[in-house]
Amino acid sequence: MDEKDHKSDLSRRSVLKVAGALAGGVMAGGLAAPAVHAQGTKTIRFLNAETSIDSIRALKVAAAEYERQFGTKVVIDSVPLDGVFTKVTTSLRGGTPYDIATFAFVGHVLILASEGHLVPLNELTDKYKWGPNILFPIDGKVYWYPYDYNLAWIYYRKDLYEKNKLEVPKTWAQFLNNAQALNGDGRSGALYPIGSNGATNWLSPGFMWAEGAKIFDDKWNIVFDSAEIGPKVAAYLDFFGELYKTMPSGASQASFGEVLSNFTSDKVAHTAYAGRLIEGLERNNPKLADQYGIMPYMDSTGKHQAVNHGYDGWVVLKTPQSDEAMKFMRWFTENQYINFLHTAPLHFQPPRLDVYDDARWRAHPLIEKHNAAVEEMRRFLTDKNIILTSIDTQGPTPSLKPGKIFEAFVFPEMLQNKCLKGMASAECVKVAADRMRQVIA
Amino acid sequence: MSSRATIYSFLGIGLAATLLLIVAPVAYAISLSFYRMDSFVGTPQWAGLDNYARVLSDWTFWRALINGFVYSLGTIVLQVVLGIGFALVLNQVFPFRNIVRGLSILPYLLPTVVVVLTFKWMVDGSIGVLTAVIAALGLPPVSWFESPAAAMTSVILVSVWMWTPFVTTTFLAALQTVPASLYEAAKVDGTNAVQRFFHITLPMLKPILTVIVLLRAVWMFNKFDVIWLLTQGGPVGATEHLAILSYKTAFSLFDIGGGAAIATISFLILSVAVFIYFRLFPLDTD
Repeated sequence: MDEKDHKSDLSRRSVLKVAGALAGGVMAGGLAAPAVHAQGTKTIRFLNAETSIDSIRALKVAAAEYERQFGTKVVIDSVPLDGVFTKVTTSLRGGTPYDIATFAFVGHVLILASEGHLVPLNELTDKYKWGPNILFPIDGKVYWYPYDYNLAWIYYRKDLYEKNKLEVPKTWAQFLNNAQALNGDGRSGALYPIGSNGATNWLSPGFMWAEGAKIFDDKWNIVFDSAEIGPKVAAYLDFFGELYKTMPSGASQASFGEVLSNFTSDKVAHTAYAGRLIEGLERNNPKLADQYGIMPYMDSTGKHQAVNHGYDGWVVLKTPQSDEAMKFMRWFTENQYINFLHTAPLHFQPPRLDVYDDARWRAHPLIEKHNAAVEEMRRFLTDKNIILTSIDTQGPTPSLKPGKIFEAFVFPEMLQNKCLKGMASAECVKVAADRMRQVIA
Repeated sequence: MSSRATIYSFLGIGLAATLLLIVAPVAYAISLSFYRMDSFVGTPQWAGLDNYARVLSDWTFWRALINGFVYSLGTIVLQVVLGIGFALVLNQVFPFRNIVRGLSILPYLLPTVVVVLTFKWMVDGSIGVLTAVIAALGLPPVSWFESPAAAMTSVILVSVWMWTPFVTTTFLAALQTVPASLYEAAKVDGTNAVQRFFHITLPMLKPILTVIVLLRAVWMFNKFDVIWLLTQGGPVGATEHLAILSYKTAFSLFDIGGGAAIATISFLILSVAVFIYFRLFPLDTD
């Protein structure tokens, strides 16, 4: 085929014709689109981060019910928690923001609220009494609706305690003694992660909080290595260093899955987690589901106790659909909240205190069966002597500063310096405090 | 349409795609490094070169740079040496050769996440199959990730296992282009296998080896997924290289400008390294 043939196949004119037709079509479609949307059903978009089948199903059922009752379509998108903030900010930047989203980090809520992207939810939260340290108000405004405390507490094996005539520990020394006593015979004494991951930040600092450690003073100065706090953290590290010797190899890589599987498969005698561990026992090793006990983290003297919280909740974003989104949230939190909690009945620990006395919530078979654990979980919220905190919520007010310390994995690296590098405890504390100052500078 | 028009059309499409998908994002990322931003929805504040000064004065940057070199060098040397060795073996005639050749590419075909998660569960300290085998043999437990050196070694080993087949396959294909007459002549001259490798195979395959090393170097220096999934840069930052540090800084520490500055410096380091590499090992030797 020569050049002439080519020209006859595809002339400039024919290209222009096709391009013109395409452009016309696109323009016509674009102009027509708003009219089509205006005539259609109202739609709001809900970004969910609870990716279990049950949770997604519960949300979709609620969405279908809401559409049936009110004619507004609720589209449920689900992404793993790690991807939520990126997805929300990207959707905002792209001009198609989600109307409702799930968050598990107060820093993300703070960023969006400070940029004016969130709707205050006080009208929804003010109706109920909530547990401590969960609403994170910013200048009196509550920007999220929590559904899960995600408290981390200690699990132990009651049957092994009975068999070995061990007492439920009240001090670090007693706990260490128990872990050492149960270390062996194909089972490790304890597993508390030390890797640079969220599991370590969540499951391993509880002993330190019980001892009275804190990261900031009221003016956001780092006091982690101060004359008052530093020795407490160093003592915690001395204790943890000994406890580490009772752990299986791989603690530096252990994350949520490894912690769950090790306890569920009878490979460790002590660990920490929230209620999902009980659900895992029921599902994978029912024999052990009657053999566990739970308790808060203890201090060195037996005077104080602590639990470490994670948390999850929903935010409503400022979008053209905000009013519809608020309407949906009003309906959802009144009518579907307990259904949603039931999708992880022991793991989604209600932050709303009324739920604990709600017969509908209580009626779930697993909640009925594990009533003793549920009452203990409730006590963690209501007992004023139990410290309830976490790395990312340290400090006088909600702020990004503790969040940065959380995400920089300063605490896990402190444990690694102690357990893997054999660094002296006081030096570990100093290194960690210096790193904290650097991260928040 | 004339052949020239065809050429320009394709060139135009290629250029447009490059501009849109590579140049524009890179330019945007570089521009971000001159701003201070908490997040992508925050209001950017001009910071000039502050982010660069801050990053370069942070010891974690230099640790990450050294880690990157250790990881790249370790993986490249092992991949190339093993890859060439396997290629030479697979180039021999033996029963079921085609099946073995097919199997040898398998690790390269597996998704990284599958390989990494499988490896992690295999070496799990309590319930890993390798842990059980080692215990059954009466050997002491292996600490795969419990020390900085062990973690880096584990990350390198997994990377080598995954990507050596690329070197093997490429080198094996190149081996087919070496004329058999050269080897026959060398044999007549009384050379042994080692001499034939260093005096015929290696010189003949130098151009492909140059490209393999370059590609592996670029890919390994920027390799993110395997390290992130295995160690997230730990323990104690021992496997944190520039790509991981950049990601953590931007998305975990809410410092988009700092993360972009690290990525830009990493890009510059790689560009200079590639430039020097091509000066030392030019592809077009005429």
